[in-house]
Amino acid sequence: MLKIQTVCGFGCGSSLFLKLKIQEVMKENNLEADVFCGDVGTCLSTPCDAIFISEELSERVMERAKVPVVVIKSFVNKKEVTEKTLAFFQSLNS
Amino acid sequence: MLDKSRVRIHVRADGWEDAVRKAGEVLLDRGSIEKEYIDNMIQSVKTMGPYMVLMPGFALAHAAPCEAVRQSDISLITLETPVDFGSVNDPVSVVLCLACTDHSSHVDHLSRIAGVLMEENKVEQIIASDSEDQIVRLFQQAQP
Repeated sequence: MLKIQTVCGFGCGSSLFLKLKIQEVMKENNLEADVFCGDVGTCLSTPCDAIFISEELSERVMERAKVPVVVIKSFVNKKEVTEKTLAFFQSLNS
Repeated sequence: MLDKSRVRIHVRADGWEDAVRKAGEVLLDRGSIEKEYIDNMIQSVKTMGPYMVLMPGFALAHAAPCEAVRQSDISLITLETPVDFGSVNDPVSVVLCLACTDHSSHVDHLSRIAGVLMEENKVEQIIASDSEDQIVRLFQQAQP
């Protein structure tokens, strides 16, 4: 199963909202992945296939990340989360 | 899900720091956190940036689980006058304050609250509420 890590400062608040939003988008589009929360300090050492993260925090992981980093400006903006989630899934097929 | 002792409306706040402080004071009064946790939340916004302003008008104030949290808890306040956090989703009128003792015990509870908050126009309905009971009911209606 594909693993998507949603990341915020502490891995227990904002990232949960983003996780719920991504799960909503996946359900609507018949996509499957294991989505889980992480914090910015440890997310790079947690095995996953992609990191979804806020713009402010992305600078801290962008250069060292070994998996795709998807930057989300507004965690619960349906349009943005839909576009970027679908784009990520498409990138897996290309 | 969110009872009356966790909700305060039309709170006066002088800027975003004060808004976070006022939301935290609800948890302080409930005995769920120590004062130190409020300072941690304010520091978090400063170091992490205002991404915690999750949607137009709404901010999620919280800090890392720590010893200053006695029990996981959630409070919600609405502001008499909106404040700016420096986010694209400013101005903020609703602040949810989250305290957790670890990374997992609060997740089910917060997920249910988050589910309600992300429903269309829900933040607007919260801002428009003129009693604590009205806000409590907005969350009750959503319970399965």
